[in-house]
Amino acid sequence: MNLSFFDQFTSPCFLGIPLILLSTLFPALLIPAPENRWLTNRLSTLQLWIIHLITKQLMIPLNKKGHKWALILTSLMVLLLTINLLGLLPYTFTPTTQLSMNMALAFPLWLATLLTGLRNQPSASLGHLLPEGTPTPLIPALIMIETTSLLIRPLALGVRLTANLTAGHLLIQLISTATITLLPIMPAVSILSTSILLLLTILEVAVAMIQAYVFVLLLSLYLQENI
Amino acid sequence: VLHAARPLHTTQRRSAPLPPLPEKGGEVRHGLIPEEFFQFLYPKTGVTGPYMLGTGLLLYFLSKEIYVINHETVAAICILSVIIYGVKKYGSHVAAFADKLNEEKVAKALAVKNEAIKDLETAIEQEKKEQWRVEGRGYLFDAKRNNIAMLLETNYRERLLTVYNEVKKRLDYQVAMQNLKRQKEQDHMIQWVEKNVVQSITPQQQKESIAKCILDLKALSKSAQAAV
Repeated sequence: MNLSFFDQFTSPCFLGIPLILLSTLFPALLIPAPENRWLTNRLSTLQLWIIHLITKQLMIPLNKKGHKWALILTSLMVLLLTINLLGLLPYTFTPTTQLSMNMALAFPLWLATLLTGLRNQPSASLGHLLPEGTPTPLIPALIMIETTSLLIRPLALGVRLTANLTAGHLLIQLISTATITLLPIMPAVSILSTSILLLLTILEVAVAMIQAYVFVLLLSLYLQENI
Repeated sequence: VLHAARPLHTTQRRSAPLPPLPEKGGEVRHGLIPEEFFQFLYPKTGVTGPYMLGTGLLLYFLSKEIYVINHETVAAICILSVIIYGVKKYGSHVAAFADKLNEEKVAKALAVKNEAIKDLETAIEQEKKEQWRVEGRGYLFDAKRNNIAMLLETNYRERLLTVYNEVKKRLDYQVAMQNLKRQKEQDHMIQWVEKNVVQSITPQQQKESIAKCILDLKALSKSAQAAV
């Protein structure tokens, strides 16, 4: 297996059969189904606790109508968390490194929030384009700027997730290549890069969890403005 | 659309009772390999059997380059060491936390049950106290009866006093009337006698009496001077 640096980002294929759907849906197999008992085992208890924590955190700022989004936001959060964390294992493919997948997640959800806002409360939604208390001469310029920032949101959401994960994975690959290449030549530097790699791995674990949370949090914020 | 031509879920699903679910999962060595594998190999290869198998497999893959050492190996070593360190250090804490969550659930339900039991016990004690109070009912009624008798007595005596006072007032009135009448008669009579006496004194008698008085006075004054 001679791997180049970008082999980990190619969409997996086996004998011409694309496996991207399998790799995206596989994390669902790792999550135990909620059981029908009152006292569950440790894994189910922890899973329930985490899902309660996530849902509470996301739903507190939203009003009653926004609670309809609880299921999709929580499941999106769990999906991104598991995909990102599983991608840190060796020889795995991370679907969220593909811009196509992230844009497919970000664009429709953002558009849904925007259209909900424009449909139910159009003047309030458009009113978000102008922050309060701006001096009068600045108003036209500010509306242009706010419109641009509104329209760039889905792009930002998708690219943020893609870039963070891709960059992290790529860095891990590069530094481990440096480590293994330097091992016969300069073992001391190799050990140094191993320590860097350890720190980087810990950082990547944190980034994986944070990026998932940020994605979903920003979506819930866009929802808050528009619901 | 479900067309239920026959009734559903009318009997229990199975006739035999199921065995209870196991409390803990299967035993695992090194976090990955089930204990049953070691027990399976024990009769033929003893205690070191599975370890020899693992080492042999690893060396086979490495030497035949079925598994190639590349940069991902180093990355694998790093992430696995981070995971193993995390599990070893915080594993027991996470397990204790999960157990605590379950314990709290059970404790809440137990608290409800204990609260209900305590409330009922308090109710029983209060009921017993009420029953004890009932025994003293006789004394209570006697005291109340005495109270009422005293009130009645007091009331009767007050009314008696009122009657006495009223009667005395009337009798005093009669006595006062009689005294007044007697007084008036006496005064009238004295007045009448005086008037008649004064009328009966003629001027002649008046002169004679005055002359007599002057003679008496002279006699007295002589004897009086002698006394001084």
